[in-house]
Amino acid sequence: MALPLIDRFTTIADNYPDKLAIADASGQYSYRQLQEKIAQVAGYLAAAGLKKGDRVAMVVTNSANYAAVFYAIWAAGGVTVALNTQAKARDILNWTNHSNAGWLFVDQGHGEFAEIAAKLDQDVELISVGAPKSEQPEMEHTPWNTITQKQGAMPELPISPGDLASIIYTSGTTGSPKGVTLSHANLSANVDSIQQYLQLSSEDSILNVLPFYYSYGNSVLHTHLAVGGSLILENNLVYPHRVVERIANEAVSGFSGVPSTFALLLGRVNLNDYDLSKLRYLTQAGGAMAPALADKLLAALPETQIFIMYGQTEATARLTYLPPEQIREKRGSIGIAIPNTTIEVRDKQGNVAPPGVTGEICASGENIMQGYWRDTQKSAQVLKDGWLYTGDLAHTDEDGYLYIDGRSSDMIKSGANRISPKEIEEVIQELDSVLEVAVVGVPDEMLGEIIKAFIVPKDAQQTDKKVIQRHCKQNLAIYKIPKSIEFISKLPKTASGKIQKFQLQKKQA
Amino acid sequence: MSAEAQIRNYILENYLFTDDQSALDSGDSFLDKGILDSTGILEVIYFLEDEFSIKVEDTEMVPENLDSVNNIVAFIGRKSQ
Repeated sequence: MALPLIDRFTTIADNYPDKLAIADASGQYSYRQLQEKIAQVAGYLAAAGLKKGDRVAMVVTNSANYAAVFYAIWAAGGVTVALNTQAKARDILNWTNHSNAGWLFVDQGHGEFAEIAAKLDQDVELISVGAPKSEQPEMEHTPWNTITQKQGAMPELPISPGDLASIIYTSGTTGSPKGVTLSHANLSANVDSIQQYLQLSSEDSILNVLPFYYSYGNSVLHTHLAVGGSLILENNLVYPHRVVERIANEAVSGFSGVPSTFALLLGRVNLNDYDLSKLRYLTQAGGAMAPALADKLLAALPETQIFIMYGQTEATARLTYLPPEQIREKRGSIGIAIPNTTIEVRDKQGNVAPPGVTGEICASGENIMQGYWRDTQKSAQVLKDGWLYTGDLAHTDEDGYLYIDGRSSDMIKSGANRISPKEIEEVIQELDSVLEVAVVGVPDEMLGEIIKAFIVPKDAQQTDKKVIQRHCKQNLAIYKIPKSIEFISKLPKTASGKIQKFQLQKKQA
Repeated sequence: MSAEAQIRNYILENYLFTDDQSALDSGDSFLDKGILDSTGILEVIYFLEDEFSIKVEDTEMVPENLDSVNNIVAFIGRKSQ
């Protein structure tokens, strides 16, 4: 079994102590400096009583501090629970409770800090991350500098590959949030596969815009730290021209995005105005990229390798990739299985579907998750006989290349986000004026899908979209607020009363 | 209506979902306060281009021009000169 990533990091840090590990808005951190930060946090957690397997949650934006806290949790024997930094307090508290985390690290300047501090279970230690902001009111928590002022000491705690390493929540419904559990072996295996096909080495550097709390960004972080590469962090894509300027100025070899990232860059920036000759490769995952968009990328960056990829959090991150030399011949394909993973397209009876016939993508390999945290029922629905049933529909061609045909689950993919309609429905249903609600994804050129809510009001006279959206803004992350709301007199249902979402989606076509 | 009032009303209506003027300070950073994300900024640009008959160049898409009502008002002022 592969060595856990924390052990690999230690070896790399010893081999490349002065090499740049992470550059963020606060400065540049070499591998030695990052290792020192990790030792400080790990030493603190060990002294605070963290035992092997204990969960530690964190709400930290991409930064050297993120990597320090994340790897420190592993070094101390804990399980990371990295949470969405855009989430509201109610989701953060819900996930913290669900994972039974004993510690919660939160960025000092996080907009929900005060509410989290006020409502957090008393058994959970709240630790602020980063320099205090002057306007931040005093609240009960452990300040970051109590950790960083002390000399660090790495706990001597052997981690086994089979030990639980991380929980990644993919949705936040109140009743049963879905927490994907990954072992150290899962993470190491996926890192190995990705490094192999991307041919990553210590010479590589990446400009990263992807949030580390999602599996895609998580894999970018680990693949680079495991080989001694460098991560240059740019925390938002709001100003695309700045992003391309940094790709050129920092002379990075890699850049990763979702389809909307590339649509934004191609739409708002003339790439020919910049020297991108050092950019060896691009990766794209997080939803199907329209072949026309891939064509535009190829035309704009003829010397850069473009890797179209597909994956799921349940598979640690990555499942397939399209070798760059095949991108023209296999237009629209998500490629073949990554090294050390097996993919089959199966029909409803569980048999392998012949080429051209649509079935469900199933995967096996060391990267497949252990299951959903404390949810054997949901785990059993997707893990059968050592295979992950992804819920994504696809067919193969005669050469075994995969082509996505759709999804059998109703998750909405908007930009880089995978959104459970149920979460939004739960929040909207809280309003007294709402009788029934159904949320669906509708096609959008830039984002892939946008969120639309169909609402049956209790009183047809009381239909104020603003009230609905304001309530969503107060209780949901910004990307989960429905862009479109339609009031209707009744929802289409089957005879047994199940809402027919496909009928609502058809209304949009 | 002044440019500032037009922009304030647009942000209040479409991103804060209210007509309560006290919900937005004209100096508030759209990003720091979680009012807009990257697609929101693009929508604001389309609004400015339509409403004020200007063209926002790619190189002008920087926070100094777009990250608050005050920044936008000053930017539009410079563009209209």
